[in-house]
Amino acid sequence: MNMTMRQGMSSGVFGNYQTPPQFLDEVFGQAGTVNPQYQSIFNQFSKFSKEDFRKLNEHAKASFFNQGITFSVYTDKAKGVERIFPFDLFPRIIQAAEWAQLEKGIVQRCVALNLFIQDIYTNKHILRDKVVPADLIFSSKNYVKAMLDIKPAGGIYNHISGTDLIKHSDGKYYVLEDNIRCPSGISYVLTNRVAMKRALLETFRKFKVSTVQEYPQELLATMQSVAPAGVDAPTCVVLTPGVYNSAYFEHAYLSLTMGVPLVEGRDLYVEKNFVYMKTINGPKRVDVVYRRVDDAFIDPLAFNPDSVLGVPGLMAAYREGNVTLVNAPGTGFADDKAVYTYVPDIIKYYLGEEPILHNVLTYRCEKDDDFQYVLEHMDQLVVKPVDESGGYGILIGNKATKEQISEFKQLITQNRRKYIAQPIMDLSMHATFIEGEDRFEPRHVDLRTFALLGKDRQFVLRGGLSRVALKKGSLIVNSSQGGGSKDTWVMRDDQPSDTMAQDQSAGTQTLQLNGQTLHMGPTGMTMGKME
Amino acid sequence: MTTEYEINYFTHNTYDEPVHEAFFSFLISPCQDETQRVKQVTFRHSLNTEEFWHKNPFGFEVTSLYSAQPFTEFSFEMTARVEKSQPFVPFRPPLSVEEEQAQLAAYDFFIDHHLYLGTGHYTLIEDQFKDRLLFRKEDQKVYDYLTQLNGFIHQMLEFDPEPTHVHTTVSEVIQLGRGVCQDYTHLFIGIARLNKIPCRYVSGYLNQGHNLTGTAVMHAWAEAYVPGMGWQGFDPTNNLLANLHHVKAAHGADYSDCSPLKGVLKTTGGHKTAYGVKIQPADLAQSAQQ
Repeated sequence: MNMTMRQGMSSGVFGNYQTPPQFLDEVFGQAGTVNPQYQSIFNQFSKFSKEDFRKLNEHAKASFFNQGITFSVYTDKAKGVERIFPFDLFPRIIQAAEWAQLEKGIVQRCVALNLFIQDIYTNKHILRDKVVPADLIFSSKNYVKAMLDIKPAGGIYNHISGTDLIKHSDGKYYVLEDNIRCPSGISYVLTNRVAMKRALLETFRKFKVSTVQEYPQELLATMQSVAPAGVDAPTCVVLTPGVYNSAYFEHAYLSLTMGVPLVEGRDLYVEKNFVYMKTINGPKRVDVVYRRVDDAFIDPLAFNPDSVLGVPGLMAAYREGNVTLVNAPGTGFADDKAVYTYVPDIIKYYLGEEPILHNVLTYRCEKDDDFQYVLEHMDQLVVKPVDESGGYGILIGNKATKEQISEFKQLITQNRRKYIAQPIMDLSMHATFIEGEDRFEPRHVDLRTFALLGKDRQFVLRGGLSRVALKKGSLIVNSSQGGGSKDTWVMRDDQPSDTMAQDQSAGTQTLQLNGQTLHMGPTGMTMGKME
Repeated sequence: MTTEYEINYFTHNTYDEPVHEAFFSFLISPCQDETQRVKQVTFRHSLNTEEFWHKNPFGFEVTSLYSAQPFTEFSFEMTARVEKSQPFVPFRPPLSVEEEQAQLAAYDFFIDHHLYLGTGHYTLIEDQFKDRLLFRKEDQKVYDYLTQLNGFIHQMLEFDPEPTHVHTTVSEVIQLGRGVCQDYTHLFIGIARLNKIPCRYVSGYLNQGHNLTGTAVMHAWAEAYVPGMGWQGFDPTNNLLANLHHVKAAHGADYSDCSPLKGVLKTTGGHKTAYGVKIQPADLAQSAQQ
């Protein structure tokens, strides 16, 4: 096989590093050269012996367990087993100019999708103009009639978006999917950075890396900007399904870092179409709910009547404009993978602009010629259900057995609306520390970005979650499917304002809430009583 | 011609164990439209809390109650006075068959009426039953067809409250050949939609005449969109067109949008529930009280 051998790396943690030639490696060029943005960090890491690095990585990992940053995987074998999200210290680096372009593209996409959702739940111009087929929207199980004609505060539906990007072997970024229901992962971005600083503070300080720890305050400001009309100092809360949810840590972490209460459905009630929180000092009105409970469960009177996670009457309070839900219910039809194919048209329709980010070519099995093509070329395609997330129910054609392929052909034929297929994209690879081997090997990565839309405000986090497919050759990076993650460094331009941010990123941030002081800094997060 | 009705809805519930927290929503108030004017509505209930209102996604008023004080008994009563006038039906459908069909086939028309053209849990008719159904003949006008369908369903099913329940689907109803007004209505809706005619579920009150004794329950019928005529009411349970005796509360895509009472309760034990409605011309109601 034609493998590129890295020169001068026969020993140490980069020993024997080989990237299959058809893939783009973020760190190394084709000839084994180190890409300029990685040169300095590569030099630093090359100094480590295998033993040194293993210890350092263990130290970083321990910080996750110590902070209780774990998640659980839903499989039959391991119900609710707590694990840490695998992490390694070698960061992914994105240069400022490259990022600036991505940032514009992400905002463009989120703004267009917001207008799309608004249009669908009101006038439906885009359907009447036949840009998007009406059937596609009306047949989506995430098109929610309880949302019809609701006018959310500030006109915002997808306050929080997690746009997933990949870098293809052509060197371009492509959007893999839009996540605008309850995108998760932000707590890993923030805690990865903490772990990185704990383990390698001196190294980290040599680089001009954009900060990420402002995210919770940006999120809070976004929530406050969409408070119901007439509310000047809104009470915001994070609504969690509870401790058994796989992302409970994130819910707790965000409420703590924003300084707002973390509540469950049973802590809230609706009376006279207003939402109240039960506190020891009596009821307190709630104005903005960042809800991490899925649509189907947020209000047993409007949706799933058996839900005990929600708040009876919440949708009525929302419809009356007395509470804001973040994100709005019913956004799921717009991040449906079959609608994905239309996003470039959606951007052009509402904004009159060319899409900045590329879409992956997508075949919709609902269309006859696409369906035929998919059946005939299954071994070269990735087949995905349109309304699932988390990497469940996916077939990767070139890795599948004949039995799996024929099983999928049957599934698709039975429910064509439910499936799309895409060419197998050559996700870029990144040097990743592999435990057991105790050295770096190339692994496929993607990038989840985090964007916020509020009333007259937009924010894209300069950073993100680089998700790594730890299994050799695997393309599935979801945490629920055994993926890992990396700290992602978006480099800063040399701007005068950066000095302050630099000081901030090296120092400690202090936050006071309810008489408790929360310190966040290179040594992690601590809480103490205020003196 | 108009009639003034007095309508009464009541429910009484007893619980084995105290209910600590409760939220009730009632979709029972007569609505206001071209044929009915609500003159007065009053509510009475046993909880120590005030009722409140909101409009549901279809624009109908929902009355809600929230209580955080324990109770073992709950009663609720709505009384309304409604002036009902005879729905206007043109002597003959104003559009030709071709014009009607062109309107039904228009893309904008589909977008505007999509909620009443799709099928869901209640109204989806399995393919195996389709040869038992009545379809519109090519030269038949929509209104004539729907009138025929009304009688067809009335013949097809036998009224029987025993075998069906609130979750029964049309396919089950076809197999059983029996059901109540909800089932007749869902079947009418399912078939009308197969003919690409928008059709919706209506819940309300039916004045069954002077001889009725005791209490009744809420009634259900269908409204279908006839090009050139608008929404027209059909009551397949009684093989009637909706008329002076039908007082509408709400409509929706199917029963799930019109369920009269929804509740979320925190209690550990079981409960007993009783409910009923009364509708009679207001002058009779008055003389009965004297």
